[in-house]
Amino acid sequence: MDLTVRMNTLLTIGTADATGAGAEGSSEFDVLVQIYRPRVFRFLLASLRDRESAENLTQDCFLRAYRARDQFRGDSSRTTWLMQIAINLVRKHESNSRLKFWRRALRTGLSAADLRDWLPDHQVSPESAVLAKEQVNAIWTVVTQLSERQRTVFLLRFVEEMDLLEIAGATGMKEGTVKTHLFRALQSVRAKLEVTK
Amino acid sequence: MNPHLTALQISECFVGGVAPFVEEHARECAECRAKVTFLGDSLYQFRDAVGRWSSHLDRAEYQVVYRTTPARAHYGSPRIAGLSSLAVHGALAAVIVVLGTFQPVQSLVRQRITALELDLRPYMTQQNKAASGGGGGGARQLLDASKGKVPKPALRQFTPPRVDPITDPKLPMVPSIIAPDDVPNIEANNYGDPLSHLGIPSSGIGSGGGIGIGANGGVGAGYGAGVGPGSGGAFGGGVFRIGGGVSAPSVLSKVEPEYSEEARKAKWQGTVVVSVIVDELGRPRNVRVQRSLGLGLDQKAVEAVSQWRFKPGLKDGKPVPVIATIEVNFRLL
Repeated sequence: MDLTVRMNTLLTIGTADATGAGAEGSSEFDVLVQIYRPRVFRFLLASLRDRESAENLTQDCFLRAYRARDQFRGDSSRTTWLMQIAINLVRKHESNSRLKFWRRALRTGLSAADLRDWLPDHQVSPESAVLAKEQVNAIWTVVTQLSERQRTVFLLRFVEEMDLLEIAGATGMKEGTVKTHLFRALQSVRAKLEVTK
Repeated sequence: MNPHLTALQISECFVGGVAPFVEEHARECAECRAKVTFLGDSLYQFRDAVGRWSSHLDRAEYQVVYRTTPARAHYGSPRIAGLSSLAVHGALAAVIVVLGTFQPVQSLVRQRITALELDLRPYMTQQNKAASGGGGGGARQLLDASKGKVPKPALRQFTPPRVDPITDPKLPMVPSIIAPDDVPNIEANNYGDPLSHLGIPSSGIGSGGGIGIGANGGVGAGYGAGVGPGSGGAFGGGVFRIGGGVSAPSVLSKVEPEYSEEARKAKWQGTVVVSVIVDELGRPRNVRVQRSLGLGLDQKAVEAVSQWRFKPGLKDGKPVPVIATIEVNFRLL
């Protein structure tokens, strides 16, 4: 059931982006929230590795979007627009010194362990399941150690599957810069994967 | 056959903008294809895991929580809000004021406070009582009072002390002053002002009997039958402060302070603040440095101010000792 819901959302994301219907009315914004919320939450969760903060920032993100919905000109896609807000929120959250202590505690604590449990069970053999777990764990460890920019770019590319231009629009970087960051992130991931192999 | 793909080229496959020959090689070379597939597979697994994790943690009830309703941004107008806030606060302040001026409340508070207040009188030292008051006298003679002992303190004064005792009186009476027993005194054969330095016998320039420059039969500069510059008996110097019916003393003659040698060499400038008690006759007493400047200037200031003469401060038209502060400026030209 879980899977079908996700499939539906993915489908609707595609259609909503394609139609580009205006989100002026609150009911239309409601729809926007329903469509994009899982994506924004996923990105924030992967960036912050903390459910509560991710929940809060997701809400913040949509609140900001709601307040600024008149200023949305439509020259970028909704995804880019919302991701832009989310990225800014992450940046602000990271630089918030009051939370630094808790973030550090969390980072050293239970960051990598829980992602391994979220792999699908339909693996061919126990060996491949173990391998997959190792792979995911390796990537996850690297991602937690990446710098804020590299991590953002990496997540946008390989989790949200945005293309380079979209990432450039959302992060406010040039395409070349995005590429560089992406390369560096990938190199670290590859290096880590080589070790595990 | 092309050489195997570099690490950078493998990464390039996932970033985009791959050169055609790289793509071709990845398709043909089994080893490189395995590498690319492995990385792609890992990334896919990662994406899947993050997605599952996120959708599991995402609360299902968000549709209710995040429903946006067409609510107004502000409830009511800010103008009305401000006015009503003002009204509420004003009303509260008025209630407090009314309660505070209400007679029963006041008496209640007074009762409470007196109940709380401790009676500290038994613990207070007796010194305060003795330190106030004073007295003075004199016989309108030309010289200041001469040195001598103070008469015996007593509770009532029958005759004021004299420097030159009356020989063969008709009614012999030991002179006395009104003071507690612990009046500072000196050992001497004759009566006089213990603070004086003069040796020639004189009762002083005061009036009304007694010794000194005061009046009314005491010893010293005060008024009354005690000792010292105060009034009304006892010992000490009741000193007034300027204000509240006490006028400030004004300077009659001034002596400019000298510069000390060290200060001149150091080009040291500034202000010394001295406090001085100007007694009833306009003489400075008890000159003390309140704010020091150093380099010998304090002493010079005290020296100078001690030579000044004042018009004494008045209370009810009578000269009284008044404490005053004087700023002595030291400026190098």
